[in-house]
Amino acid sequence: MYAPQTTTMAPEPMMPFPALITDIKEEAPGVTTYALEFEDTAVRQSFTFQPGQFNMLYLPGIGEAAISISSDPGQPETLLHTIRVAGNVTQAIARLDVGDVIGLRGPYGSAWPLAHARGLDIIMVAGGIGLPPLRPAIYHIIHHRQEYGQVTVLVGAREPADLMFPGEYDAWREQGIEVLPTVDRADDSWEGRVGVVPMLFYSLRPDPRKTMIFTCGPEIMMRFVVYEALARRVPKERIYLSLERNMKCAIGFCGHCQFGPTFLCKEGPVLSYNQIEPFFSVEEF
Amino acid sequence: MTPHIPPLNAHVVIDKPALQTLFDALQTAGYTLIGPTIREEAIVYDEIGRIEELPIGWTDEQGPGHYRLHERGDGRYFAYVVGPHSWKKYLYPARLTLFRTRRQDKSFTVETGEEPPPKYAFIGARGCELAAIAVQDRVFLEGPIQAATYKARREHAFLLAVNCTEPGETCFCVSMNSGPRCESGFDLALTELDDVFLLQVGSQIGAEMLAGSGWRPAGAFELSHARRLLAEAETQMGRTLETRDLPNLLYDNLDHPRWDEVAERCLSCMNCTMVCPTCFCADITDVSDLSGENTARVRVWDSCFNPDFSYVHGGNLRPSIRARYRQWLTHKLASWIDQFGTSGCVGCGRCITWCPVGIDLTEEVAAIRGEG
Amino acid sequence: MKKEPVAEILKANPWFASLSSPHFEKMVEIATEMSWPAGQIIFREGQQGNYMYLIIEGQVALDIYAPNRGRLTILTLGPNEVFGWSAVVPYTQMRTAAARTIKPTRAIALDSAALRAACKADHELGYLVYRRLTNIIAGRLTATRLQLLDVYGDGTGD
Ligand SMILES: Cc1cc2nc3c(=O)[nH]c(=O)nc-3n(C[C@H](O)[C@H](O)[C@H](O)COP(=O)(O)OP(=O)(O)OC[C@H]3O[C@@H](n4cnc5c(N)ncnc54)[C@H](O)[C@@H]3O)c2cc1C
Ligand code: SF4
Ligand code: SF4
Repeated sequence: MYAPQTTTMAPEPMMPFPALITDIKEEAPGVTTYALEFEDTAVRQSFTFQPGQFNMLYLPGIGEAAISISSDPGQPETLLHTIRVAGNVTQAIARLDVGDVIGLRGPYGSAWPLAHARGLDIIMVAGGIGLPPLRPAIYHIIHHRQEYGQVTVLVGAREPADLMFPGEYDAWREQGIEVLPTVDRADDSWEGRVGVVPMLFYSLRPDPRKTMIFTCGPEIMMRFVVYEALARRVPKERIYLSLERNMKCAIGFCGHCQFGPTFLCKEGPVLSYNQIEPFFSVEEF
Repeated sequence: MTPHIPPLNAHVVIDKPALQTLFDALQTAGYTLIGPTIREEAIVYDEIGRIEELPIGWTDEQGPGHYRLHERGDGRYFAYVVGPHSWKKYLYPARLTLFRTRRQDKSFTVETGEEPPPKYAFIGARGCELAAIAVQDRVFLEGPIQAATYKARREHAFLLAVNCTEPGETCFCVSMNSGPRCESGFDLALTELDDVFLLQVGSQIGAEMLAGSGWRPAGAFELSHARRLLAEAETQMGRTLETRDLPNLLYDNLDHPRWDEVAERCLSCMNCTMVCPTCFCADITDVSDLSGENTARVRVWDSCFNPDFSYVHGGNLRPSIRARYRQWLTHKLASWIDQFGTSGCVGCGRCITWCPVGIDLTEEVAAIRGEG
Repeated sequence: MKKEPVAEILKANPWFASLSSPHFEKMVEIATEMSWPAGQIIFREGQQGNYMYLIIEGQVALDIYAPNRGRLTILTLGPNEVFGWSAVVPYTQMRTAAARTIKPTRAIALDSAALRAACKADHELGYLVYRRLTNIIAGRLTATRLQLLDVYGDGTGD
């Protein structure tokens, strides 16, 4: 009897693909946007993503980080990732130059419910590094502007210099999107708003029957966005949040990103409030 | 001459020493045999080749935080329950290279991490263990993405299962509906009778492996004897766990004072998650050679009891042991069901036996139910 | 900026619109429309407060002057938001911050003494007014807490 001793093995799903850094742009202190292109033509051409999804960025010998895609979903061959320096991986990425190569795999996770939002008003609430994951949704809306009602983008940052993509707000406004930046602190050269983002709800009059909310930012900020939205009778299933947890594999195997019953890498990171309500305010959950 | 093999689903008997012919057939067919054997005063799973390497005549005494081997003074091959190891050690190794990269100028190449694994034959898997393998199958094979390294090990694994006739003090498979009888997912299922092994044929390959064993069809007496032993075993569970509406019980009690009490005892040592046959959480890290040219991306078992498990830049989201124990138990018994349509606990009792302070999840659940 | 009768403007605001007609009339009686160009100081910290304002359009900054640090904007407010509520709260009739327009601004000013008197005379109206004020103050308090938390930091202090 012929008896093979071993088995065969499919390719490892966590293998990254080398991608070239083609451009680097400083956005704010400690925050930089990288343009990446897969080296392999076939991989590059077959890659598509939906607004809200993320990739895993890998540096051999250092590690991997989950980073949202911040670019136009209509142009998936050049991917933008806007990264804030945090620890090991993001610091190492910050030392790279145009022409360097990084490992990339994805896209992973759920997307902003843009199909669901057709015909509705959308209020996006972004805090700090929360705007990059929303930017692809803004591009999508600009490309399909007539499909959506009023679109308002509330952007919060600590100081004016920390605002993400300020140079683009006027272009968005020209496309009929209201953009309201607000900061926690400013001197009097700042002509925009001062105050935390959830406060901006006070000057909006969302129509709860046709408003959808997308929010991404620090979890405390999102909690208060939820409170303000609920106080204005926006239904739970139309409030969407992008959550963040430690993430190692991005494909549901490592267990780190669990938030109760949900794996944030698979069912998330974008979830509706009614999916997470029982756990959202539980301490140390 | 076509070999003399039993039909599928048949019940046959072999003499106990004829188990060696089965081992031999498996080895000839290219399998690496893994089975129970005694190492450092415990029954563990390791590579074996001969039936004498089985813990014949030994049994284990188990309790919360307690494990000891005894000689029985009889010739029983399988008169013990599960030890600190589980088959996850082979299907989902504690440390495994996922892929390697090699630097090339500014770029790098990516290569497979390891050679394809051997074909394993698992000797002596119990009902709870078959259930645990089925649970990990759901995690690693039945989602949108398959875990290649698990699949390669699992796909060709041969399972010689054993029905438990003498459950242990920390066993509660009846509560979890996973034993003591092996219902499915085996190639052969063995029940140890006084003089013979009764075998149920679960697959074609299982049947073929019996070709040289001198098997004969089981008689009515043998079948009824086995049935009686298993019915008795069901009544001898060391523990029970009331599973009625368990997910809601835990979700509704995330702030129950019992979590504080258990946190005072729990050492967050991670033993429970290491011995659990279904726990699958892992960390993934890079290991580079001295030149930094070659890097291996390595997966290692992790645990929700590890403080860094919930680390996001700036801090750990579950700094307290209370939150970590709550995460473990609610995952096992509640959210696992939402995630994979099955409980994450199969009632093997390992986490009770191997907890250094004897924390018993069945007791914790009862306390939260208000029955403590 | 176009001039509308005060009653028309108040009708457009859901809270005023929800009042019974005697209560609404009372509000119209004590309300005046005011407007300022950009960069105007509406009141200064420490002054006696005479009015509470509801912004119709424009943008207003609330500033606190700190020695050595200059003028710090602690909050800005836009359409439909209220400022100057301290003028109505008996405890803080003094202005606790300065108000300055950032954009040309139009607002409805409610005479605070008249409002307090009306509430005292008609407790039902008083209840509605102070309930509204509590909501406004609670929102402001929440916002202040969030600002104190410095939510955009990652907790590592940088
Ligand atoms: C779905 C998702 C999208 C994200 N999108 C962006 C983005 O667009 N831009 C951006 O700057 N950051 C984003 N982050 C956060 C980013 O993943 C972390 O800042 C990054 O992992 C930190 O890695 P580090 O090695 O630099 O930090 P270290 O502090 O050294 O972290 C060590 C390890 O802990 C884990 N970890 C630490 N912080 C986080 C975190 N906040 N989230 C998840 N895992 C973490 C990672 O596994 C990391 O490898 C996102 C996170 C998630 C989960
Ligand atoms: S939780 Fe405990 S009893 Fe349940 S399967 Fe895991 S180790 Fe066994
Ligand atoms: S429950 Fe027991 S085994 Fe598990 S971490 Fe706590 S002390 Fe360790």
